[in-house]
Amino acid sequence: MSSRDLTIVGYLSVLAAGIALQVAALRMPERLPSLGRVFTHVMRTRTGRVGVCVAWAWIGLHFFAR
Amino acid sequence: MTEATHGTGDEQLAAVGHEASITAGQALLSGLRQPLVAILLLIALCSAITGKPLDGFLMAVVATLLVWDAARSRLSHPGGAAYSSAPGYTAVSGSQGRAYGAGRRRRVLAGIAGLATAGLYASVVGSFSRFSWPATIAVVTVGCLMIAIGWQGPLRRREPLTGRPRRRAWLWGVLLIAGGTSELSSLLQQPHLTTDSYAHPTISALTDPLLASHPGRSVALAGWLLIGSFVVGR
Repeated sequence: MSSRDLTIVGYLSVLAAGIALQVAALRMPERLPSLGRVFTHVMRTRTGRVGVCVAWAWIGLHFFAR
Repeated sequence: MTEATHGTGDEQLAAVGHEASITAGQALLSGLRQPLVAILLLIALCSAITGKPLDGFLMAVVATLLVWDAARSRLSHPGGAAYSSAPGYTAVSGSQGRAYGAGRRRRVLAGIAGLATAGLYASVVGSFSRFSWPATIAVVTVGCLMIAIGWQGPLRRREPLTGRPRRRAWLWGVLLIAGGTSELSSLLQQPHLTTDSYAHPTISALTDPLLASHPGRSVALAGWLLIGSFVVGR
């Protein structure tokens, strides 16, 4: 397996783990937090809200803006 | 600090029964001590040196606004918590999330209108070349709008995270760190910060073929807007 393949497998592993965690959290909400609930928790203060919104905006800027 | 500011602070202190007082400099320092401010300034610096000055400028503006807002909050409530000025779960009272009290039909119509607008936006902006000025203006406008909406506070009341789920929120943190570390590792193994590596591609490099076409860009923009509405609705 090449370095490129390993790098891509790394990204896909993180993505798959995230999907698995989200599915598990939706099936067992009393035991695991879903991504939405974690966002709600992080965004309970203005700093948290702005931080998450800026992170989202930065993604758009990074991929599309000059 | 002016006399008027002192006066306002003293009145607030008397009202809440505290005896502490802070200067404008201390209030400013409390704003600068926020970890997010340091992170944003670091991103601003990195963006600027990697050829994305607009990204850097916007991050610096948001960092400055956060410092200003935190300092203002500290001066208004000198004996209170360091900084938690946004309305949280309890501040959104009763029926009161801005969209919470709307009727179901109204919400459905608003949802359909939002989806149609997002679809139109993705289709039109996706037709622009990447990194062109029209695409930049369109993305910056929506980004700033969402940040402004997020700044106001939660759109609707939601259940707080408590108990066992809260103690296990670190699992998402681990995933975030793992993803960020992978990306950073690839970035640092590039021959240059602005030159992609075939052996160690970043996520940006892997998505370049997708974003090279109009449909690909439109799909990506639609996904970006969908995530944005999810985030700002928290």
